[in-house]
Amino acid sequence: MANDDIDVVIVGAGFAGALIANELAKQGKKIVILEAGGGVPTNINDYMERFYKAQDKVPEVPYTPPLTNTDGHFDQGVNDPDKVRAGRPTVRTLGPGAWNDPKQSYFDQLTKREDGQKATPFSSTYDRVAGGTSHWLGTCLRFVPNDFKLGSLYGKSLPDLVDWPIGYEDLVDWYGKAEAELGVSANVEEQAYLDITFPPQYAYPMPGIPESLTDKAIRAALENLIPAETAFLKMAQPPTKINVVGTPAARNSQPYRNRRACAGNTNCIPICPIQAKYDPTITLNEALSHKHVTMMKHTVAREIILDADLRNVSEIRYTSYKLGSNETATASIKAKIFVIAANAIETARLLLMSKDEALPYKAKTVANRSGMVGRNLMDHPYYLAWGQLPLTGAHQLWPYRGPLITSGIEDLRDGAFRGERGAFRMDIGNEGWNFVMAGIVGSDPHTTAIDFINGVNRSLFKQPPRDGVGVFGPALTKALNDNITRQFRIGFLIEQTPNAHNRVMLSEHTDGLGLPRPQIAYNISPYEKQGIVAAYQLKELIFRRMGATDYTRVADDDPTRFEEKINGNTVALNYGGAGHIMGTYRMGTDPDQSVVDSYQRSHDHDNLYLVGSGTFPTGATANPTLTLSALALRTAERIARRV
Amino acid sequence: MSKSTHGEPAQTTQSAVDHDHAAGISRRTVLAGAAATAAAVTIGADTPAVAQSADSKQDMETFVTLSAALTGIAPKLLAPETDSVGIKHDYFSWVNTKQPVAFARLLQITKTAAIQNPAGDGADSIIKQADVDRLVQAMESNADTKFLVRSIVLMWYLGSWYEPADLKALAGSSPPSFIGHTVISPKAYTQGWLWHVAQAHPMGYSDMQFGYWTRKPAPIEDFITSRSKGKT
Repeated sequence: MANDDIDVVIVGAGFAGALIANELAKQGKKIVILEAGGGVPTNINDYMERFYKAQDKVPEVPYTPPLTNTDGHFDQGVNDPDKVRAGRPTVRTLGPGAWNDPKQSYFDQLTKREDGQKATPFSSTYDRVAGGTSHWLGTCLRFVPNDFKLGSLYGKSLPDLVDWPIGYEDLVDWYGKAEAELGVSANVEEQAYLDITFPPQYAYPMPGIPESLTDKAIRAALENLIPAETAFLKMAQPPTKINVVGTPAARNSQPYRNRRACAGNTNCIPICPIQAKYDPTITLNEALSHKHVTMMKHTVAREIILDADLRNVSEIRYTSYKLGSNETATASIKAKIFVIAANAIETARLLLMSKDEALPYKAKTVANRSGMVGRNLMDHPYYLAWGQLPLTGAHQLWPYRGPLITSGIEDLRDGAFRGERGAFRMDIGNEGWNFVMAGIVGSDPHTTAIDFINGVNRSLFKQPPRDGVGVFGPALTKALNDNITRQFRIGFLIEQTPNAHNRVMLSEHTDGLGLPRPQIAYNISPYEKQGIVAAYQLKELIFRRMGATDYTRVADDDPTRFEEKINGNTVALNYGGAGHIMGTYRMGTDPDQSVVDSYQRSHDHDNLYLVGSGTFPTGATANPTLTLSALALRTAERIARRV
Repeated sequence: MSKSTHGEPAQTTQSAVDHDHAAGISRRTVLAGAAATAAAVTIGADTPAVAQSADSKQDMETFVTLSAALTGIAPKLLAPETDSVGIKHDYFSWVNTKQPVAFARLLQITKTAAIQNPAGDGADSIIKQADVDRLVQAMESNADTKFLVRSIVLMWYLGSWYEPADLKALAGSSPPSFIGHTVISPKAYTQGWLWHVAQAHPMGYSDMQFGYWTRKPAPIEDFITSRSKGKT
């Protein structure tokens, strides 16, 4: 199609980009999608083969460009961040010595913030491929109403907390539409907590996913509590019961839109082998089935160029590259409206790369009158704990069965304590010690098996195998069954306050196209640390009530490690990344304090929309995908009215 | 849900030449196996890696016996009569290529031990612990075979190859460290037995149906003995 016929150019084909493209496609709009990575493969066979063959089955491993060589080993040679043309962070380069080494890691992570505070790892990663966050878990929680008004509630004592320009009531219908598109399984009666409401007669598209045996055990452990046990939560009333409820998920509990019901592959992250879990390639393929929708793969947006009046974007400059060749081509594309849907780090990076000295404000970059582009980077710092039930008796939990997560604790996501510490939600893993051990000595069940077969004790079992003595035959199957079937883990996603000094900037290190890579300065504040302290105390309560042995440990050289005094004891804690990247071009009503309005339109440029969880003013505790999808659908409707 | 992993395999020096010619097993057979491996690689097909001579068939049976003894899995499951997957051929040729001399010795020790594959069902389809212990004692008396035994069990359990030298180094190391492995093939990953020992399935390779996880699994015998069926 001719360049000036294009209604909308969308940068990025993940959740937000695919949803907006499809909504506009249905209305006959002419759309071009610029996708930095590979396109949608004909099938997922190559993804699955790469996953099966990989030594380290990290979230990014199935996707392209490959992280691994033909032996299935992570290979710095094929991942040189100076050379990869659409690079990405990987959890393989988050360890000590790697996380802040831009020769190894795509991110250039600083060890000090601009305010002089120590910076620590930003531990979340992403892919750059059509489908974007296909390696997500599938969790589709709604925000609770108070999540939208933390500024009003607690802003006096915590000025970093701000209100959203919209409330739950503005999003409630959009949540429903997003749940239909993604295909969410859940039960309304379980999800109506903390003032979450649903329209009359509302039903989720599919019934909830059944709970796992680990869920049942933890639910039973949290009934009949005495107030003294839960006083640490600082709820209005110490609860005598903490509910374990099903996690709403874009995972089919029955056939839905030509996709099968979940078969419990226990592999939502990195990839569902049967696509029972929704991923954005589903919506993207639907969008691409319209003849006036085009996707240019291996095409990296490099600059947003403004009209002479600076009020509108005129074009986007991009570079296309070819696999297996050094050839590149740089050109520009014009449209009536531009949507940047490249995730909270890559969108901020593109904005910061888009300089215009004529801009009438201090930051001479597009959409940055507020100076907030790249600032307020948030995640949900993720605290993990793992344990084992007694080896004798009927204490088996049978992990490695079912979806990775089926239930969690949601009713601690709000309360007056949010004036003092971060709220959290808790998820319950159905994958034993699989990934909690990965960063310690190697993923499970490998580590447990090696302990017994090789007579070592890297799991630090309290009843270890005899030193140096391997166990074989029936004694081995018994030892492994006894141990593995009693292993479990829980995780806490902690609310993080926005902080202007947690920041995405441009590095002097470049990628394979010569573009500056993201530079990041990040840490977690006392608010988050106190949230983790409360999570630790809940872990203690759960393990005590279950009679579980605690195997949680924090490696001495873990760069996210910190210590806190809890009940007089010094306790080592840490955090991981939840993959929930938020806040770097936040929405608000004040153009001096925010980057976009509630429709995710730039305050500064009328035809520029910045979408995805980068627009979240606060991150709350819910996994962000459902909310960013609801916002994307709301934005699509607004755009459709304009072109 | 992301956490760092940094487990590249340590570089290990492997003895390229093994001067021990005392291995009683027919070198000719083992070499035939290695040649067949090369042929299979060349033609790139699922050709069984072992030449189907009488000797190599016997070696395969011995390999299955020693594998069943060490893993605690019924030999009829490791090597079903109708074996459409044929992972035993991949594993035989893998070990035979990696450690031909020590492997030959393991086969010979197994033959000498004269362990019969059990003919029964259920618990009687598993090689008895006393036989296993007798076999392991003989295999562990030699440093070359001691850790190869462990590599072979891990191979059947996880579809991954852990170098015997790495396992040896790990057994003597303190504090515990990372140890690398190589997934033998995508197919091998999906054939890992450890998942079944845990009454589950390889992550990303479930043959079960929606909702199975909310019920208790079938007893472990249904997963690792020859009466195994209906693993939910």
